[in-house]
Amino acid sequence: MRNNSVSAWQVGILLFVLLLTNKILMLPSLLYEDAKLEVWIVLLVLFAFEMGLIVLFWRLKVKYPNQTFMSLMQAFFGKWVTKIFFVLVMLFCLGKALLLYNVTYIFFKSVIYKDANNLLYLIAFFPVVVHLAVSGLRVVGRTMQMFFPALVVTILFCIGVGLLGAGETPLAFQSTGLALTRSVFRHISAFGDSIFLFLIMDKVKIEKGKWKVVFLFSTFSLVLVGAICMVFVFSYSYTSFMHPFALFEIMSYVKEYGGLGRIDIVAIVLIIALTYFQLALYLRMFVLSFDNVFVGLRVFYSVATFVFLFVMLVTFVILNVSKTILFGEKVLPYFAVLPFALLPVVVLVLLFGRRVKEGEP
Amino acid sequence: MNVESLFENVLKTLNESLDVASRLIEKKDGKIGMIFLKSMTDNLLFSKAVFEPLSKLDSIEFEKVKQCIEPNDVELVGKDEIVEKIINGAVIVVTSKSEQFLAVDLLKFATRVPSEPPTSPVLMGPREGFVEDLKTNLTLLRRRFRSQSLVLEQASVGKITKTQVVIAYLDGVADKNVVKKIRKKLEKADIDGVVDSYYLVSFLSDRPRSILKQVGCSEKPDIVAAKMLEGRVAVIVDNSPIVLTVPFVFFEDIQNSNDYYTNYAFSTFMRVIRVFAFVMAVLGPGVYIALQLFHYNILPIKYLITIADSTQQIPFTPFIEILFISLLFQILYEVSLRLPSYLGMATSIVGALILGDTGVKAGLISPPSVIVVAIAKIALYTIPEQSAQITIAQFVFLMLGSSLGLLGVVGGAIYMITYANSLENFGAPYLAPFSPFVLSDNKDALLKVPLANMNKRPLSLNNKNVYRCNDDEK
Repeated sequence: MRNNSVSAWQVGILLFVLLLTNKILMLPSLLYEDAKLEVWIVLLVLFAFEMGLIVLFWRLKVKYPNQTFMSLMQAFFGKWVTKIFFVLVMLFCLGKALLLYNVTYIFFKSVIYKDANNLLYLIAFFPVVVHLAVSGLRVVGRTMQMFFPALVVTILFCIGVGLLGAGETPLAFQSTGLALTRSVFRHISAFGDSIFLFLIMDKVKIEKGKWKVVFLFSTFSLVLVGAICMVFVFSYSYTSFMHPFALFEIMSYVKEYGGLGRIDIVAIVLIIALTYFQLALYLRMFVLSFDNVFVGLRVFYSVATFVFLFVMLVTFVILNVSKTILFGEKVLPYFAVLPFALLPVVVLVLLFGRRVKEGEP
Repeated sequence: MNVESLFENVLKTLNESLDVASRLIEKKDGKIGMIFLKSMTDNLLFSKAVFEPLSKLDSIEFEKVKQCIEPNDVELVGKDEIVEKIINGAVIVVTSKSEQFLAVDLLKFATRVPSEPPTSPVLMGPREGFVEDLKTNLTLLRRRFRSQSLVLEQASVGKITKTQVVIAYLDGVADKNVVKKIRKKLEKADIDGVVDSYYLVSFLSDRPRSILKQVGCSEKPDIVAAKMLEGRVAVIVDNSPIVLTVPFVFFEDIQNSNDYYTNYAFSTFMRVIRVFAFVMAVLGPGVYIALQLFHYNILPIKYLITIADSTQQIPFTPFIEILFISLLFQILYEVSLRLPSYLGMATSIVGALILGDTGVKAGLISPPSVIVVAIAKIALYTIPEQSAQITIAQFVFLMLGSSLGLLGVVGGAIYMITYANSLENFGAPYLAPFSPFVLSDNKDALLKVPLANMNKRPLSLNNKNVYRCNDDEK
């Protein structure tokens, strides 16, 4: 595996994809169930959490420009605490990958491939996802850089088309504070992907003054998530909870243009591309964490472990709509303790604790 | 020295080849002998410039012999070099009184006159192309660089053919590390013979088994010169009209020599068309079949009815149908390449018009499928340099589209681009200047700005001198 460095632009694009993908399909509809028209409040809170993680990473990277997160943790907390931490990260990545795959699977099954089975999806996804993940960070960064303009144009197109079908729903307060808090907790697991930055800390090479690129891309990504959510809610209003696939639904609201046929295919292609990238990044995160737990093992073992666990869980445990939603809303939120409680504490200790020298065990 | 026995030994060493010729001139004080290959030397010049003057000599003194033929390219050689010199078109002159040998370079063989290469015709701009003769090719290149910057290094590759290879680059422009790497790769090339420059491609490639093209090639001296000015290194092989250039990036093939001899806005437009054609050629049949099999509901209803009408009588599945038409096209392509041009035309008419039309009328293939394959195949030749790779990719995407629909096509595209991104040819990223994005290189990538505004050489090639003209700006 080639582990080369990535530039500020590439980090920004990686973050853009990470922060966007798993929030544009099922999340808006689920958010509406609790938060009603106050979805934007929940989103603002969750965005603040996500941006907070990126700020923490920025401060840590400025303090320790060349060190790995693992070496810093080992120096402060010892070998075993570090290993346990990275095992949790592995589980977090696996859980998020499972949720994303299941959501996409359900989407494809209900929209395109009605007769296809899980095996076909696994065959379609895994060769590409594994290839992307093992090609090295720089290669993945470059590939996403290549696709980035197309992704942005397509998303903006979807939002634009969605706006044509959006109604004039007022921003009335229909939800209670408790419901909003519950919504934040239920869906916090859709966030926290910025943990990826900590795993690639030593490979991130950002020159002075280029940090704004990273913040710009992450903010842009979250703004797009917010825009998709709001366009979706404005389009379907009180029936939003009945339409599970937000990005697709806002496109299918306006079906034909200039005799060109249904343009919801644009959303389908976008979702396919983003899912490939996101799954590859989760696998990459798993591989990086695996390397920190089982030091010195070949990449084959980490990929094989991920694929084995993934296939087993997908095949035998959670492959239908109700189980997927249950998994996403009841199980995964506890995983969010890792990026939003455990990780900030660790980073704060590293930031305000004594300075660790390079090479210090 | 016994001239006859020396010639006998040389003849034996050359396996008594029938093109070995020797001449003996007997004088009062001894003999003058000449041995050479009839097939490699200029026989007329030999008679006039060597044989006749030597016949008129009254003595066989070595110095006199040398002076007599000195207007020619004469060189003193050792006994162990005789055979090599003869093979390379020299006439060896010896006298019975001396132990020294003279090699007179009279190399001549039939060669083409530089003409417009059939692979890259231009509307405007130079029309001459490289030929099979190394000397002529070097002249064509030297004519474009009348400065001391042009460096030509010689190498020999091929254990049996001992083919002459010249590494050409511009001093102060090309990266010396690239030159060093090429030299090493050529030294390591373990091959018995190099009959064309393409034989060296796999030795110069960083990943020889990759299906992606990793070495640039051109038949035109103006293109090679332009590439060298950008910092690339050329590899010129004797007996080949194709000159190789490295480092190679994919977007080189999107560019065309016509782009530099016409309006820049039109060039940009044509490059966009080429990229569009490339995407259509690679993905066209795959996307069509994916839409037909999996996503038919997204098609406009009128078009859907047309497709349904035209395909309902077809006995084959859409995949078999498209595959059949594509294979038929490949067969026609192969036939038209191998047959003489007059027969090739006839075959194309029979294949494309009669077979296609009759196939549709007989209900074996549908008109939309014929149109899709035809468009994809025509689009393929907007970038003829990439036709081999595109053809393979077309079939791969056809299979992906028919088995997995758009999921497969998008996955395949991501896989392909990731793979291309993992290639770095002599330090240049394969998909530069788009990934990684290099702003200044985009002045001559998909967009093309006027030449006056292109003040920098491509940064993705690791040039020694980034600025084209103004060295002070470095």
